[in-house]
Amino acid sequence: MQIHRHHLFWPLAMLAALLLFNLIYSPDFYSVQVRGGHLYGTLIDILNFGSPLILVAIGMTLVIATGGIDLSVGSVVAISGAVACLTISRGSDQGSIGLILAAIGLSLALAVVLGLWNGMLVSTIGMQPIVATLILMVAGRGIAQLITSGQIITVTSEPYAYLGSGSLLGLPFSIFVVAALFAAAGLLTRRTALGLFIESVGRNPGASRLAGIRSRYVLIAVYLFCGLCAAIAGLILSSNVSSADGNNAGLWYELDAILAVVIGGTSLTGGRFYLTGTLIGALTIQTLTTTIYMIGVPPEITLVVKAFVVLVVCLVQSETFRKSLAHRWKTRRYPAEREVAKHA
Amino acid sequence: MLKQKYLPIAVTVFLFVVMFLAGSFRYTGFFSLQVLLNLLIDNAFLLIVAVGMTFVIVTGGIDLSVGSVIALTTMISASLVQEQGWPPAVVIPLVLALGALFGWGMGAVIHYFKIQPFIVTLAGMFLARGLCYVISINTITIDDAFYQRMAQTKIHLPGGSFISISVVIAIVVAAAGIYIAHYTRLGRNIYALGGSEQSALLMGLPVASTKIAVYTISGFCSALAGVVFTFYMLSGYGLHAMGLELDAIASVVIGGTLLTGGVGYVFGTLFGVMIQGVIQTIISFEGTLSSWWTKIVIGLLLFLFILFQRVLSARQAAQKA
Amino acid sequence: MRRVKEARRMRAFMIYALAALWLALSGCKQQAVETVPSVPQNTIGAEGTALEPPPSARPIVLGFSQLGSESAWRLANTNSIQEAAAEAGVVLMYENAEQSQSKQFDAIRSFIRQKVDVIAIAPVVQTGWEPILKEAKEAGIPVIICDRSIEVEDSSLYVTLIGSDFYEEGRKAGKYLLDRTRDSVGPIGIAELKGTEGSTPSIERGQGFRETIAGRGDFKFVASEFADFTFDGGKKTMRKFLSEKGDEINVLYAHNDDMALGAIEAIEEYGLKPGKDIVIISVDGTRRALEQLAQGKISLVVECNPLLGPDLMQAATEIIQGRTLTKRIVPTESVFTEQMAKREALHRKY
Repeated sequence: MQIHRHHLFWPLAMLAALLLFNLIYSPDFYSVQVRGGHLYGTLIDILNFGSPLILVAIGMTLVIATGGIDLSVGSVVAISGAVACLTISRGSDQGSIGLILAAIGLSLALAVVLGLWNGMLVSTIGMQPIVATLILMVAGRGIAQLITSGQIITVTSEPYAYLGSGSLLGLPFSIFVVAALFAAAGLLTRRTALGLFIESVGRNPGASRLAGIRSRYVLIAVYLFCGLCAAIAGLILSSNVSSADGNNAGLWYELDAILAVVIGGTSLTGGRFYLTGTLIGALTIQTLTTTIYMIGVPPEITLVVKAFVVLVVCLVQSETFRKSLAHRWKTRRYPAEREVAKHA
Repeated sequence: MLKQKYLPIAVTVFLFVVMFLAGSFRYTGFFSLQVLLNLLIDNAFLLIVAVGMTFVIVTGGIDLSVGSVIALTTMISASLVQEQGWPPAVVIPLVLALGALFGWGMGAVIHYFKIQPFIVTLAGMFLARGLCYVISINTITIDDAFYQRMAQTKIHLPGGSFISISVVIAIVVAAAGIYIAHYTRLGRNIYALGGSEQSALLMGLPVASTKIAVYTISGFCSALAGVVFTFYMLSGYGLHAMGLELDAIASVVIGGTLLTGGVGYVFGTLFGVMIQGVIQTIISFEGTLSSWWTKIVIGLLLFLFILFQRVLSARQAAQKA
Repeated sequence: MRRVKEARRMRAFMIYALAALWLALSGCKQQAVETVPSVPQNTIGAEGTALEPPPSARPIVLGFSQLGSESAWRLANTNSIQEAAAEAGVVLMYENAEQSQSKQFDAIRSFIRQKVDVIAIAPVVQTGWEPILKEAKEAGIPVIICDRSIEVEDSSLYVTLIGSDFYEEGRKAGKYLLDRTRDSVGPIGIAELKGTEGSTPSIERGQGFRETIAGRGDFKFVASEFADFTFDGGKKTMRKFLSEKGDEINVLYAHNDDMALGAIEAIEEYGLKPGKDIVIISVDGTRRALEQLAQGKISLVVECNPLLGPDLMQAATEIIQGRTLTKRIVPTESVFTEQMAKREALHRKY
């Protein structure tokens, strides 16, 4: 198989282009220093700050693979941080491991309930995913604010802060969380039949049902997983600032996550999905944000640049576009051939 | 007497009436024509955008750029009128043409390069907002006499109530939408395209021009809504109409249009917008509802609506089978 | 043929229904909100001549459009206003606009429709307010501006501005720096974390600071960028400053606490000691900042008082009573040093 037909080729090419750009324009992008036993540098930052996005995007990949979409991830991020911080702040000893575990457990449990809610709406009631998750997106933001009573809950807890800002083996702990979840998702989907079921349900729900796949359970499972991923991302985010902001946490996260999935090669109509592609897509978005920041582009232009990049990525990924370019290139000296092909 | 296919709209209208009556019982001063007309006055721009969005969604697509195009329209209008001193008679047709052009561009990319509408319109959204900030980071206030007159004119109706000019524009747009959808060839093509693109292609319908036409219509409606918004706010600002696209999509869906395409009525969208307005009005009459309960209530109401519609259409499908 | 008849019947039915609805609704005239029996409005502001005797004890209805809930300061501000309203017996209609100016317009329009006595606005941006203020003026409702200022050509559109003097805050920060570095030799590099671009507090705090330290030649601004008043922005921007100009930074002037707290983390990760290697001056006075101040990591916190509630209620009451108000009301503010910090941090509610 030619290398440029591989599904990861174009996402990797985009990332490589960005990194190359940085190499030319800001060489200290690549500097990695060791301070106090921890690694510091822009590359590490990208992995660290990008981990919530990667987590959410992994969950989103599976949902999109079933032909759906989950707009509520931002609200779930806010809710999970809020529940965790509320639990910790109510405890007598904010540093006790037991309390932290209880907080994390509660927050994940709530996320499971919310994921189930989404899954039930889509599969049992048959609502369209965009609308079903829109409901939780709106109401969930309200729930997050309700939990925090509109305040910003701050906690002082070493073990909790470890999640988002702690280090293991010199690298930020959050990277390990992402790696673990990525491995789990990969194993679940590629080593069991679940991945095939997801792709099948996304590609052709009718045929899947006829083939005997319990699409209802598959759908519930993916929305549950997506909610869980969003919750873990929310925990990392809130532990990074040791506080929970029900109003602003996770705002507009869903768009970036969807972009990451699309850049990674998964189609929005459902079917084949590529977890590695999503990983690369999320890294691309994070690198783009950091690059724009580092070269000091005025913030006004950030959005325009982002629009451009998104468009270029999608054009490049579009088979039709590539074919038409290739055709134009091949027939550049033979206008007659082009004319013939048009009417063929 | 009521045909099966009108059932979703009937449900929407019924639910709207129920909500309005519920509000009337609960609050004094609610049950009045002015309150009803205020729904239109406050949401005129949402209605215009939602009409355009209806066409797009009926073809099975989506347009996320509408809010940003509104903001861009206000920004371009403000900067041309205030800073360059151009007359509104030139500026308004210009921004309408630009909006249509923007929509046309997105439609062309969506069709010819076969990229998902979600992504292309998302990129359009970023692009339009970004261009706003490039023109100016801060607000540009408009003190042009024409705009001020348009903003403040009250058209008095028999009975003592009044509406604004924006409402007239919105109603004209809605009527035009209904006309295009049901009485022109373009409308029939749009519904056919939404039903199944392949079938439409095989039938020989002009798929390309229809698809591009709906995005052009949506872009035009967004620009027109932007002009109306400019009357409302009398300023151009990059942060205007944030998140409006989701409100528009919600209105269209509440109005009975299916996101998969092929089914939907502009008339239903009109009521979808009114329902959003009535929810907001009830909440503001309530007065003491904290902003988080507001969100939860809106989410809950949305859920009940869609559930009700779903149950009814499921029953309808079961009856047919 | 039947279909055509059906369609015609449907249309007729709808027309009749609409007509009936119109008549029914027009028949019910809109009543104002019942809690407010109409009271003749006194003339606003400057003249202050009471046309009628002041109303006897009936609650004042105040419509407050808050701009959002983006920071701890803002939340404290909202709470203060709500508590003060309850204490003063003022009926408060509160709307949170979540950073959207058009939502503030909606809120103000609904206040005008419900005929409140006074409108208070915490404007999210400086410009674009003339049209809505004119509407309020035409409806005869006085307007108070809170916290941030607005740019209007006609200042009679609002009665008074209640808010901190951001210039003064900048000046206090600058004065502290001058005192502290009285005896030092050599160039002093200053890094500045500004707030949201274009926002009043950011502009004025920066200007006040610069004007105060203008005389000294050994001060040099080595880095100055916008960090949006957020923790994240502060941390990331500080990190950038350190990686570019690490050794040259002696002083950090952050326009608000959240940015300063983020910067502290960035400084500690870089390996330096905040407070000792880099002098940090911050503005706001939230509890977390005071705690850091008590630990010596921040050197000075200039207070920006969010507790505008009592002042707002008093202003609203005085307007209704027909008294004249000064065009600007500034709440009392001070600065906090390390010694005071330990005591204050315990009291701080926000």
